[in-house]
Amino acid sequence: MAVLEEPIKGVPTAMNYIDGEWVESKGEVIDVVNPATCETIGKVGISTKEEIDSAVQAAQEAYYDWRRTPAVTRCRYLYRLRELLEENFEEVSRVQTQEHGKCIDESRGETRRGIENVEVACGIPTLMMGDSSEDIASGIDEYLIRQPLGPFGIIGPFNFPFMIPLWSAPYAVATGNTVIIKPSSEVPFSQTKITELAEEAGFPPGVWNMVHGGRTVVSGMLEHPDIQGITFVGSTPVMKDVIYPGCGNTGKRCIAQGGAANILVIMPDCNVDATIPGLMTSFFGNAGQRCLAGQTLVMVGEDDAFYNDFVEKVTDRAENMRIGYGLDESVQMGPVRDAKKKESILNYIESGLKEGATLRLDGRKAGEIVGGYPDTCYLGPTIMENVEREMRVVREEIFGPTMGIMRVKTLEDAIEVCNESPYHNGHAIFTSNGKYARQFQYDVISGNVGINIGIVAPMAFFPFSGMAGSFLGVLHTQGKEAVRFFTESKVCIHRWL
Amino acid sequence: MNLRTASETLSFIRELEEKAAAFYEELAKRFPENETDFLAFAKENRKFNKQIQMAYQSVITDAIEGCYAFNMEGDDYAFDTDLPEGASLAEAAAKALAIEEKILNCYNVGAEQSSSLLADVPRNFRIVVKKRNKRLEKLKSLT
Repeated sequence: MAVLEEPIKGVPTAMNYIDGEWVESKGEVIDVVNPATCETIGKVGISTKEEIDSAVQAAQEAYYDWRRTPAVTRCRYLYRLRELLEENFEEVSRVQTQEHGKCIDESRGETRRGIENVEVACGIPTLMMGDSSEDIASGIDEYLIRQPLGPFGIIGPFNFPFMIPLWSAPYAVATGNTVIIKPSSEVPFSQTKITELAEEAGFPPGVWNMVHGGRTVVSGMLEHPDIQGITFVGSTPVMKDVIYPGCGNTGKRCIAQGGAANILVIMPDCNVDATIPGLMTSFFGNAGQRCLAGQTLVMVGEDDAFYNDFVEKVTDRAENMRIGYGLDESVQMGPVRDAKKKESILNYIESGLKEGATLRLDGRKAGEIVGGYPDTCYLGPTIMENVEREMRVVREEIFGPTMGIMRVKTLEDAIEVCNESPYHNGHAIFTSNGKYARQFQYDVISGNVGINIGIVAPMAFFPFSGMAGSFLGVLHTQGKEAVRFFTESKVCIHRWL
Repeated sequence: MNLRTASETLSFIRELEEKAAAFYEELAKRFPENETDFLAFAKENRKFNKQIQMAYQSVITDAIEGCYAFNMEGDDYAFDTDLPEGASLAEAAAKALAIEEKILNCYNVGAEQSSSLLADVPRNFRIVVKKRNKRLEKLKSLT
């Protein structure tokens, strides 16, 4: 099967987009490297404090007119953006694969999920409606309206360069706010492409801004008094130590989504053949670099025959996985994002082995790489057995293509393992028994719960939930909660004398 | 060739449809009295390609096992479109029927394998199979 054509050609520099103008950053310029081929595919500037300040100023100035633009009119910009995203569906998907390394099916899935958020935000005239109550006292009426607040900062991670900023940005602008998006500087081109399309959709200057960079841009957003709130998706340490306290110090609204170490529970009555593809995509999809990826597989029961047969099937499927460049359509798992991340994953595997886990499938070397690319960022799927609940490979986020297998006696034990985890993002159960499923859903501490679903990714019209360790804040991105986050409720009480 | 991912399987099917479309265009040239039917088949093949592609792009999401949706042997559905010079209309129609059988088999197996994963894709595979029945009747009438 042929390798699809790469959309990023030459070595372009990702520009900032401020006040409707494309401007080159004055900061240090770094390379953007395709992890699948190790080729430099572009450059990006690490923007300065002055540049983020300039973007906030533009967003603040644009806010005055934008919030006065009727919601139905604001939506028309989003409809146009949605159409442009559809027209460019294949190109934006290939950009993700080229800069991130994920498989083309995964990138197209990410594109679809992103577009779905634009579609939901197009319903803002209805979603933003308030409440009213007549005669709360004699001759007095009371009603609630939702109003925008001003500029918002949106900080995206490297693992979903296209989709995750769209969990926030469409809702923010639809409700009358303005945005400054900071993509991960490792993968700046997906958001650059979206911003080009937002420009083509005709958003007024200053409504949709993008500033590339790193800590300076993040600090600039956190400290700036005109930024009303931040949405962040990234690591738990940054979420806990930087974003959440930073927002608290300056009185900003905050949605902070962090890491995870999800646990998938296998009951002996599960549909094995239907479960295994779900496990493959959960543990090894996106090379495990997902906050909804499975990390630990908890096998319930003492039936050795079931355990051995199940693990044999999982191992067989995993070891036959095709690894390579995601633009090759036959590839099932791409590289991890860079060599440093690969090293971190290898260290976790070593720690698991030192703590007593045993290797069922050794993916520390990728084996055959389709296309013969350098193995700098590639790993194979790793399966470890005999993992225990106190091990680092269970309790810490690995963010790589590994599966640790633990055995417990009862469902209650499995739920206890889930609830002891420092992370509570997307635990799941595989079973054919409704009672087990309900018990799991009821008792497990997890913002998103899967029942026979390996990747518990909420649709755009539901919030992307998450609980302790994986989330800080009150409201979540996506859907109605995003609408509430990006608006202030104002209650009016009327009496006509 | 073993087909596993949704992307490569749909590309493979697209190639089958395009190859068959080119075959029908050739038949339209060779048998002008049946030109309308053969050109209609070619046009329909390309319409099927668009229909399947739209279904795939609408349904593929990050949560779905797109990289593990299929396990098909491409060689089972491969066909050649060689038709000897001077072949009769009946021979051409028989060749077309053999090609159609391969394509139908590919859609049927694909629909079965992806039925629990890709929703609209297997549904559209089945729609394509159903729509082809009229074509089969027409081809049979020519043999």
